[in-house]
Amino acid sequence: MKLDAVALAVMNSRLGAIAEEMGVVLGQTGFSPNIKERRDYSCALFDARGELVAQAAHIPVHLGTTPLSVRAAIERLELAPGDIAAVNDPFAGGTHLPDLTLVAPIFVAGGKRPFAFAANRAHHADIGGMAPGSMALATEIYQEGFRLPPVKIVAGGEPARDVFELFLANTRVPEEREGDLRAQIAALGVGRDRLLALTDMMGYRFVTDAMAALKDYAERLMRATLARLRPGTYRAEDFLDDDGFGTGPIRLRVAIAVRGGRARVDFTGSAAQVRGSVNANYAVTLSATFYAMKCLAAEAVPPNEGLMRPIEVIAPPGTVVNATPPAAVAGGNVETSQRIVDVLFRALAKAAPDRIPAASSGSMSNLTIGGYDRFRARHFSYYETVAGGAGAAPGRPGESGIHTHMTNTLNTPIEALEAYYPMRITEYRIRRGSGGRGRARGGDGLIREIECLVESNVSLLTERRRLAPWGLRGGGHAKPGANFLVRKRQLVRIPAKTNFTAQAGDRIRIETPGGGGWGRANH
Amino acid sequence: MPRSGRSGKPGNASGQAVLVGIDTGGTFTDLVALIGNEIRVHKVLSTPDDPARAVVAGIREMLAGVTPTMVTYSTTVATNALLEGKGARVALFTNAGLADLIEIGRQNRDDLYALAPSRPAPLVDRSLRFEVEERTLFDGRIIRPLTRAAIARAVRAARRSRAGAFAVCLLHCYANPRSEAALARALAPLGLPLSVSHRILPEYREYERLSTTVVNAYVAPRMVSHLEHLERLLSPARLRVMQSNGVAVGAEATRREPVRTILSGPAAGVIGAAALVRTLGVDRFITFDMGGTSTDVSLFDRREHIRTLSYPAGYAVRTPVVDIHTVGAGGGSLATVDAGGSLRVGPESAGADPGPACYGRGEAPTVTDADLVAGRLAAANFLGGRMKLFPERAARAIGRLGRALKLDALATARGVIRVVNANMERAIRVITIERGFDPRDFALMAFGGAGPMHACELALDLGIRCIVMPRNPGLLCAWGALGSPLGREYSITIREAAPVFARLCRRARPLIDRATRELAAEGARPGRIRYELWADMRYRGQSYELAVPLTPRFIADFHAAHRRTFGHNAPDAPVEVVNLRLRASSGERAPAPAHIAKSRGRPSAISRIAALVGDRQRTIPVYSRDDLGAGLRMAGPCLIVELSTTAYVAPGFTLRVDDYGNLHLESAR
Repeated sequence: MKLDAVALAVMNSRLGAIAEEMGVVLGQTGFSPNIKERRDYSCALFDARGELVAQAAHIPVHLGTTPLSVRAAIERLELAPGDIAAVNDPFAGGTHLPDLTLVAPIFVAGGKRPFAFAANRAHHADIGGMAPGSMALATEIYQEGFRLPPVKIVAGGEPARDVFELFLANTRVPEEREGDLRAQIAALGVGRDRLLALTDMMGYRFVTDAMAALKDYAERLMRATLARLRPGTYRAEDFLDDDGFGTGPIRLRVAIAVRGGRARVDFTGSAAQVRGSVNANYAVTLSATFYAMKCLAAEAVPPNEGLMRPIEVIAPPGTVVNATPPAAVAGGNVETSQRIVDVLFRALAKAAPDRIPAASSGSMSNLTIGGYDRFRARHFSYYETVAGGAGAAPGRPGESGIHTHMTNTLNTPIEALEAYYPMRITEYRIRRGSGGRGRARGGDGLIREIECLVESNVSLLTERRRLAPWGLRGGGHAKPGANFLVRKRQLVRIPAKTNFTAQAGDRIRIETPGGGGWGRANH
Repeated sequence: MPRSGRSGKPGNASGQAVLVGIDTGGTFTDLVALIGNEIRVHKVLSTPDDPARAVVAGIREMLAGVTPTMVTYSTTVATNALLEGKGARVALFTNAGLADLIEIGRQNRDDLYALAPSRPAPLVDRSLRFEVEERTLFDGRIIRPLTRAAIARAVRAARRSRAGAFAVCLLHCYANPRSEAALARALAPLGLPLSVSHRILPEYREYERLSTTVVNAYVAPRMVSHLEHLERLLSPARLRVMQSNGVAVGAEATRREPVRTILSGPAAGVIGAAALVRTLGVDRFITFDMGGTSTDVSLFDRREHIRTLSYPAGYAVRTPVVDIHTVGAGGGSLATVDAGGSLRVGPESAGADPGPACYGRGEAPTVTDADLVAGRLAAANFLGGRMKLFPERAARAIGRLGRALKLDALATARGVIRVVNANMERAIRVITIERGFDPRDFALMAFGGAGPMHACELALDLGIRCIVMPRNPGLLCAWGALGSPLGREYSITIREAAPVFARLCRRARPLIDRATRELAAEGARPGRIRYELWADMRYRGQSYELAVPLTPRFIADFHAAHRRTFGHNAPDAPVEVVNLRLRASSGERAPAPAHIAKSRGRPSAISRIAALVGDRQRTIPVYSRDDLGAGLRMAGPCLIVELSTTAYVAPGFTLRVDDYGNLHLESAR
């Protein structure tokens, strides 16, 4: 059924409001700083087939990936009323192990099959594996943490104690995990209750019709967006610095064929998957592609499966953009996803030269610190991303110290961090002069320096430390980032991707890349 | 009691108190006076270049020779300084290594999918951010004390800075304010407005505290000179200023913390609405103030709902404000069809110029044009007949939109109304359902130019059965200012991991002493001060706090509040108290509005209009609000016109007029 223009707007608002309310509940009742302070999570509603119909605007990288988790849960499990599935397996719908997705089926009274699903995904600060924070420099997924194919974590409304115990036994800070899980479950309950209230008010048929119509609507908006691009095939290449094990630059290649309101995005020619953890699985590559395309739309496109229909994504298996087991993938989600956006925009700059900005910092500069906190007599695991500079756009300088593209998490307040972890922030400022020169200057990156007060295990997963974010149309490159260890007043450069043990009193200093400049600077 | 002043005798001949409430928010400056039992109202054109002029002229005209004893004032001076970027040159003093925090904020962006993200420019220029060598820890220990040399360097930098105001914010000062206080003592002799973070907001989370302190410094010089000027002009009357959280304090305290007045105007509206409807026994309602470009909604559940973080003009401010949720849609919002075939209303607006198509200049269809086509707005009576509307232009604009939608004009108008109502509904859901309240338990208090036109259908969508449309809606803010209690709010971060009632009370003692001292200085009698203590609580490990009244049952109340707000709780889990909040107030006499004449039966309609009723067009009567007497009851559908708005009474609603002239619409369902 086709909904009229009015009903479309009304239902778009109502379904979007439900997803947003789920996000409010999850953020306000979560336990770990990563969820409550940094808001590293997303909430969404799905239809009977597991297709995304509404998502709250939280984290772009979750946009294209959550549907695959939901579909994996539906395919592998028989979900009954009161059940909730959990999944994090990157090779069964997940992205990387710390992202744990929960899926709840929603039934109308007396219904035999779910007519919708509520789901949320939260980044857990530790999910086991070889180093605290589960973002270590691994070579196989088995080292990265506890892998959960779709399983029922709640059955018939009761927590599946055995699954809970198994999961918690495999993480370093179980009480925090349990609190975060409880918040995720509560948010799903709110999503279910609100959707059922809506079906009570509007009628079941009308709501399911609206879900279908909203997908068609997003598809029409995306087709209109693509139809405005000059037809043609646009190619570009960009590179990751390396995999942390000496590969050197890792090629990403794309050819975007745009014609008649459709796009074919082909990553053939990208490098084979690597030993280190910068392998993206297919879900991440999809997500980055949809993010880039959604940015092009003049109007707000409701984030649902329809916007993905006119876009075909080809990523050959066994490459860094479609890794196969047992590849390590922790960095695919957070680092390679940014590079995929870079290469897409580099290609699209040829199709829409007056709109596309230069490269942004291109790294989330992931920092994980964990260990045993002897002051508080407990284990801890801290995860943080450090923002960089935004690329300059035509006529507009880039912002400094801002998260771009696939992430938008907040920083952890210093006064919260120091009260909770055995650490101290000694510097947090803008890295002046790190943005690219140009008619419009690129934004500057950041400097964040953290002192460890106890012996700690540190993992760094950072990019753009060697190959700089590029400028456009004659604009200069930004400065690449740099990581340092400050030990006994000695500044030592440390690798972009590394695990090591920091001693009490050591400082970790992260200097993030700026954004590229746009247009030739006037002299 | 009136106090005698040196110049002239305040009060009227019989020595009665003369209280004045003023709102300078909009085009007009509205005034309400209470002289004994007599109420006077007045309205003058605002004078934005110097708001004091309109205030003084308005008072003189309204009181005709009587001197006011007390003037309470809701002002937009601080708000406008922030919105227009016309605040002070601020010099900031903060810890070594953190000078840029004011620019970095929380690292995030507002629009996820903008090709080039942007944020508001920082309020402190890079060259005016000064770092001092100092470090305090979260438990209050100072590991690096401020040296005399460091203080001297800061003072030298301050002298050279050519700043108009100073802001000081050091890490963990809520746990130990010593270093901040020392720096403040050294900067004070320079004689500039000085904003010190632990005095303004002794709460943890450095960025929000810093931003609040800087906003305070940014608006301070303007506010200081404005209030000094106004105080001189009004002398010997006492001047009080409405705060964003619905209480009023003296001009002196406002000069120190003008950031607390940033949302003074809208707060006064909510308090005014409360003052009015409480006399009617309605104490749970949702305000719905739909204007030309935006709509404000707010929840009143026996008291105003307060929130502690807001973003005026995009800058984080963490002081208590009446929780008002604003949506960018109103009567002037443009209706368009997007590339996907959906109708969109707002956020773009036709503004005042060209305005809706029916104003005679613009061509683009707006909500007001839809209202006119739907017969929800009586063209002949617009602004009392003083402004001509062009229904044919509205019909043309809506007709054009309809062709794109393949709908006739009437169905198009209905669609525009439904879509804008969906925006309103979403805003109301945010302040009710998301906070654990059921909108059906509340009345809808509709005002603003477009509110009464949309209230019935919105109420039906939300299951609300009772609507109140206040008399003299334009005066609500001035009423609020007049009736607002004298009060102040205080908070402090204490981080009690195992909270015990008696100990919390002990820790609140310094706040209570300070409140008593400060309110007494404002003229409150210590025995008459009302103290409300709240604890910001959470489960140990969480990071978002719920405010719970501090009573011996506070822990049980927290579990219950958590369940109500979030749908779950953990009665066995340990709880912690993060902040204590105190609201100290001293109530003024809430004036009751004047009675209107009794109804002498159903009035005669001034005209009839073809209006959209449900799905079809019907001819319905139009009444003038001035013709409706107290006690009148009649059934919809009909229109009620008055100077500033038109009310649509849908079928199924019964209209009742109370003794004060407020309209009550009650749904049979």
